Amino acid sequence: MKNRNLPRLAGGVMVAGMLLPTTSSYAADAEQIIRDNCLLCHSEENASAPQFSRMSHQRKTPEGWLMTIARMQLMHGLKITDEERRTLVKYFADRQGLAPEETAGSRYAMERRLNTMESFESADFEQMCARCHSGARVALQRRPAQEWEKLVHFHLGQWPSLEYQAMARDRDWFDIALEKMVPELTSSYPLQSSAWESWKAAPKADLAGRWSFSGQLPGKGDLHGTMTVVAKQGDRYEVSVDGQYADGSPIKGSGRAIVYTGYEWRADLTIDGVKVRQVFAASKSGQQLTGRMFEAVHDEVGADIVAVREGSAPMLLDVQPEYIRAGSRAQLTLVGTGLGEQVSLGDGLQVVKELYRDDNKVVVEVMADAGASEGARQVSAGSANGASVNVFSSIDQVKVVPEFAVGRVGGNGGSTPKYNAQFQAEAWANGPDGKAGTEDDWRIGFVPASWHVEPFDERAKADRDTEFAGVMDARTGKFTTGAAGPNPERKMSTNNAGNLKVVAAVKEGSETLTADGQLIVTVQRWNNPPLP
Amino acid sequence: MKPINNKAHTLQKAVEENHVEEVVAMQSIAGCTATTDPGWEIDAFGSVTSLCQPMESDLYGCADPCWWPAQVPDMMNTYPDWNKDAHASGENWRNLGTVFPADKD
Repeated sequence: MKNRNLPRLAGGVMVAGMLLPTTSSYAADAEQIIRDNCLLCHSEENASAPQFSRMSHQRKTPEGWLMTIARMQLMHGLKITDEERRTLVKYFADRQGLAPEETAGSRYAMERRLNTMESFESADFEQMCARCHSGARVALQRRPAQEWEKLVHFHLGQWPSLEYQAMARDRDWFDIALEKMVPELTSSYPLQSSAWESWKAAPKADLAGRWSFSGQLPGKGDLHGTMTVVAKQGDRYEVSVDGQYADGSPIKGSGRAIVYTGYEWRADLTIDGVKVRQVFAASKSGQQLTGRMFEAVHDEVGADIVAVREGSAPMLLDVQPEYIRAGSRAQLTLVGTGLGEQVSLGDGLQVVKELYRDDNKVVVEVMADAGASEGARQVSAGSANGASVNVFSSIDQVKVVPEFAVGRVGGNGGSTPKYNAQFQAEAWANGPDGKAGTEDDWRIGFVPASWHVEPFDERAKADRDTEFAGVMDARTGKFTTGAAGPNPERKMSTNNAGNLKVVAAVKEGSETLTADGQLIVTVQRWNNPPLP
Repeated sequence: MKPINNKAHTLQKAVEENHVEEVVAMQSIAGCTATTDPGWEIDAFGSVTSLCQPMESDLYGCADPCWWPAQVPDMMNTYPDWNKDAHASGENWRNLGTVFPADKD
């Protein structure tokens, strides 16, 4: 691209012109693919820059565009190669993407956090749109009224029985969809927005460099390391990852990344022999990445990740573990970049010894005074700050996270893998009032627990759900679901579904604190697009 | 109409106690459907006991008229050949493939 070699900005960031030119080669390629394959149904519109009916009047995420093009392949016989499809996704996501502000609040869908309990202010939206698929699938699109209207017609034409389902047959569904939902969607998710206009005009950072990252993988624990990113052509990068978990086991791997819309980082890596995907958002300055890294096949296994670029302003991303007990001695790992000599942990915490140091990581042995007051301490290492550590004297309550989860049967020779479930025990303190369940309760952090499942109710007990739905790992909180298919050992040969109570037990002194959550183990889905 | 089996009794009871809307509204986990009476993943009571299971026994009776199109390939319009290798779903369910066309190369 011709704008590749712009001068360095004050912050040392290389700027690449990514959204611009229809003259760039991939844009020309994409437009040629469209002209060659799409104009039997679509038409080229009369405009100064190339513009096509329908497709030029919507904005979506990379996953949204991929689903749209896949739908053209599935429903309308579009025949293009995978490479051509990738070119089109890149073209549309760059030209007609969503601004960072427009994806905030809905990123869980791209990040495959499928146990997110959705909640929308509009009951109409929940009942008309989000009752079959995620609301995020809609909230991550932008259209003018006529395009939302066409989407309504498409739904009814493609799936005509939708009017007969619950929450449709009790109302004039079609009338509500056109008269109420189209205006609501046009107002909530309009094609034109100031956020998009300003993001389009903003300089976009090249994300090459070395990154310090930290994260937490449920069932495994804290992790940190460095990620080296080398720029290739067309917003593509080579990536290598070198890090470790809290238990010392390594995180090593490499792969490729692509950046869409100037900030949507998508990487496919192989880490320790497992294919993983990163769905991150770069900050507007290009100095931070935030998102989730998950297994490609088992996307229920994934870590929250935050990364900062080496050489940017000093910053502390994380203190691992995130808590220390008053009166105890423990190792704390500080993760960030530009970590300075002077480590400050706040009142009642003293560094006994520094055990390791480099620019991105400092490991210290810390003594917490027996009388240290409870609560969070802001931590700093030189001028790097931004993370805290929680000082607690006792764990008063435990919560199961997630409180409600859905797992799916799978495997057993079928096409869908098991969708397992992972739980964590979250320790809480009661706060100054000493009472649980009040506003001053505060979160200490995730703690080890002993796990088991019980029938959720009498019906689950009668159906012996705990015997069939799967197996809980008592140590890690990972529930491996049962096999797919009818099970002749069950009543009516029913599936290995189940309604389970998930119980965590945490030892606190001589006491055992318990908490429970709910796990629904249900059947597989064969229609499993990138956005749920 | 009189309920004649357990599922119908449960539904009847919920309707009498005016609980249907309440339980339905509770379940909105991303990408799951509870409201297609019954839902695919979860029934209207937040459980699995009132679902059509084993779902393989009458899968096409529901997949054909697009009952859960976001989860199960609808065979009326979008995926007419989805079950071409699995005419008896109870026995051949392993031949039912996932439908999203992921990159192959």
